[in-house]
Amino acid sequence: MATPVLELIGVRKSFTMPGGEQVNILDIDSFQLAAGEHCALEGRSGSGKSTLLNVISGIMRPDVGRVIIDGSDIARLDEARRDRVRADKLGLVFQQFNLLPGFTALENVLVAMSFGSGRPDRARATRLLDAVGLGHRLDHRPSELSVGQQQRVAVARALANRPRAVLADEPTASIDPAHQQQVIDLLRTSCTEQGVALLVVTHAADVAGQFPRRLRLEDFNRAASGNRS
Amino acid sequence: MTLLGIAWRNIRQRLLTSLLTALSLALGVALVVATLVTGGIVKQAFESGSGLGYNMIVGAKGSPLQLVLNSVYLISKPIENISWDFYQQFLPAAERPDGVDGTFAASTKTAVPICMGDYYRGFRVIGTNAAYFDRLTVGNGQPFAFAAGRNFRDAEFFGGVLGATVAAKLGLRVGDPFAPTHGADDGKVHDPFTVTGILARTDTPVDRGVFVNMEGFYLQDGHAKPVEGDDEPSAAVISAAAPVDGSTNPAPLPFAQREVTALLLDTASLPGLPPELTAMGLRTAINEGRDGQAALPIAEIRQLLDLFVRPLELLLLLVTALVVIVSAIGILVSMVGSSLERSRDVAIMRALGARRSHVLSVVLIEAVLLAVGGGLAGWMLGHLLVGAIGPLITTNAGVSASIFSAAPGAELLLVPFLVVLAILAALLPAMAAYRTDVAKWLSS
Repeated sequence: MATPVLELIGVRKSFTMPGGEQVNILDIDSFQLAAGEHCALEGRSGSGKSTLLNVISGIMRPDVGRVIIDGSDIARLDEARRDRVRADKLGLVFQQFNLLPGFTALENVLVAMSFGSGRPDRARATRLLDAVGLGHRLDHRPSELSVGQQQRVAVARALANRPRAVLADEPTASIDPAHQQQVIDLLRTSCTEQGVALLVVTHAADVAGQFPRRLRLEDFNRAASGNRS
Repeated sequence: MTLLGIAWRNIRQRLLTSLLTALSLALGVALVVATLVTGGIVKQAFESGSGLGYNMIVGAKGSPLQLVLNSVYLISKPIENISWDFYQQFLPAAERPDGVDGTFAASTKTAVPICMGDYYRGFRVIGTNAAYFDRLTVGNGQPFAFAAGRNFRDAEFFGGVLGATVAAKLGLRVGDPFAPTHGADDGKVHDPFTVTGILARTDTPVDRGVFVNMEGFYLQDGHAKPVEGDDEPSAAVISAAAPVDGSTNPAPLPFAQREVTALLLDTASLPGLPPELTAMGLRTAINEGRDGQAALPIAEIRQLLDLFVRPLELLLLLVTALVVIVSAIGILVSMVGSSLERSRDVAIMRALGARRSHVLSVVLIEAVLLAVGGGLAGWMLGHLLVGAIGPLITTNAGVSASIFSAAPGAELLLVPFLVVLAILAALLPAMAAYRTDVAKWLSS
């Protein structure tokens, strides 16, 4: 396997429920994603998919364990540094797209750039949107775009800061079956062109089936059986 | 895209709310600016009355404040007249027909008589002599300057000088005739006087005055005191008599039939006594007599300011401060009101890598932009307001009030104060943004 851009070692994450009950969500001995690798991670509802993505992206800190992104163990970093790693090294694509509604397509990409280490690059943002077929919709707001076009903006935004990996959380769950294949194709093509690793979390077997590497979360997350995320 | 750009975009996203917030802020600031500026103008109007080259006013017994308001500020009604003989007591031997120093001559450097009661198209007519403009001064001690023409001479019985506001308002020029009316604008029309000069603007009540030679004033119907017997006019006055138009002056009014409304006195220093003590002694002597009273304009105005103007100013300032605080609360309400929408945006930005300090800054920058925008709009609106009511102030207070009138100290502090207030008001929503639970919002 090539050098991993993402590696989890001995990661545990639990939550305390309102009644005081401790619920384990993640219990992962080891997980790796190699540079440029495309991987689908299947999991049923409650298997800890969203928590896993939050831990990988540094939004949450694991109780124990190491989360290594491009050589940095972000589990040991303070929040501001985790934010910086997330901005620079990772691209996120959400189920609901999560575009900023008041910003145009171009501005949504530029906003992501403004939180990274580099300077916002309008030309690159335009090229990214052009590459996903939205060169003619730069100044349109999300409300003026179709669902498929919004997802394209989300992909372009995820690639804004030249990340090492793109994490996509159920990217096809909110769109009709006719457009699902387009989104997967777009994600894979874009990440391949940019040389970026891709981790797609999904509960759809047909989506997972298109990836060269296909994992079931329950197979390597011991806490998955019987828990909810 | 900078944090400023993001904040600006957020404002545009919530355009209506932002506009309403900025508008409420602008109205508050406009009120503050208008209050500060007009307050300053009113104060200036009163303070401009001091230092006009006289330090005491002598008039009929009654309210000293009324005497000052009437004689200096050309507002309020005259109390009554004082006798010509009493006026003569302030003159030196050379200016008296009997060649003997008046009782108070030693304590008097200058005594300028004024006679009131006539009007010309809404402005007060003041009968006086040439000494008014030759020996008195403008507020800062500078001699009166003429924008056109010159002072009337004592020998020009029907000469007159117009204040700057009067000339501008009525469109009168040097050489134009004007006929005052008796007692009120609709009173009996007197003989015409001729404009010999128009004063340069002084920003004092003088700008609203129509000054005529008191010799001509005395000769008008209803101005002679009805008395028994006859009296000879002042030889000094008659000998110099030469009318403006070259014709012959009519005979002056006999002294026995004359009165004056007030005397503007510049007191002298008695040997061995400081000027203040001389003035106090003279004041006491006059007030103990039966012929009239002496008032010190500065003391009266200071009392008026202390009693009415300052508390009113303080009250207005308090009200306006409350208005600004309410406006700042408007920012808070507007931002808290949109916090649900904002929380989602904040969560998205945080997921994209924004640090907590970034989202905190964006909210604070939004508040500052609203404060600066609303503040500047309000500042301009306030000045427009002052500009709109300026003519009214100029006419009534005698000081120029325009869109450019300013209260520099307080105004300069206003926008920074507003910015600080806005930041304080925005701290709550900013902290809410700072604490936004990203995972919770993204999962919802």
